[in-house]
Amino acid sequence: MASMQKRLQRELKSIQTEPPPGVSINQNSVGSSLTQWIVDMEGASGTLYEGEKFQLQFKFSSKYPFDSPEVTFIGPNIPIHPHVYSNGHICLSILTEDWSPALSVQSVCLSIVSMLSSCTEKKRPPDNSLYVKTCSKNPKKTKWWYHDEKV
Amino acid sequence: MKVNIKSWRGVAVWKWIAKDDNCGICRNAFDGCCTDCKMPGDECPLVWGQCSHCFHIHCIMKWLNSPQVVQLCPICRQDWKFKE
Repeated sequence: MASMQKRLQRELKSIQTEPPPGVSINQNSVGSSLTQWIVDMEGASGTLYEGEKFQLQFKFSSKYPFDSPEVTFIGPNIPIHPHVYSNGHICLSILTEDWSPALSVQSVCLSIVSMLSSCTEKKRPPDNSLYVKTCSKNPKKTKWWYHDEKV
Repeated sequence: MKVNIKSWRGVAVWKWIAKDDNCGICRNAFDGCCTDCKMPGDECPLVWGQCSHCFHIHCIMKWLNSPQVVQLCPICRQDWKFKE
């Protein structure tokens, strides 16, 4: 088995036994090669997203965990958030230049839950309509500018 | 009573002295080996950074050799320097 699959196998086991709050793996989505997962996520209580359900798609290349996973929101409910584009792309530095092989599906999910939780006003990024018209399908190909540290 | 020892067998155990049990990169046990190796121990040694974090040498080398601008410890994000 490739080293990427061995590590994902371990991650899958640990996330199934101790899932972070509001996060669960959609079992049907995980194929035998483990290269693509869908994670069901709930907005944390006491936040603007309380009661909402979201789906995150993770795609792993054979170089994982040395190469970051491709993570996007999918499905009918894309959270309205200043760092989430209407096509599901997420502007979050750990998904590109600040990625580290010590991070995991679990820590990425926690970062995204916390990014949503600290939001004070539901709105799309200011450049949303231009971005979704011109971007690549793969958010990792976007040269992100990380300028807003607040949310 | 007098005992004559006819034969004996020595058994030794070893383990790496590290703060954690598992490598933060491959998630395998330090006393095991990285995912590319078959035998733990000298074939797949641990290596420490000056920041005190340690990894299987093969894991941290793969990370340091992957394309990136700066070389940071995967755990604490300080500049990675090997501990002498």
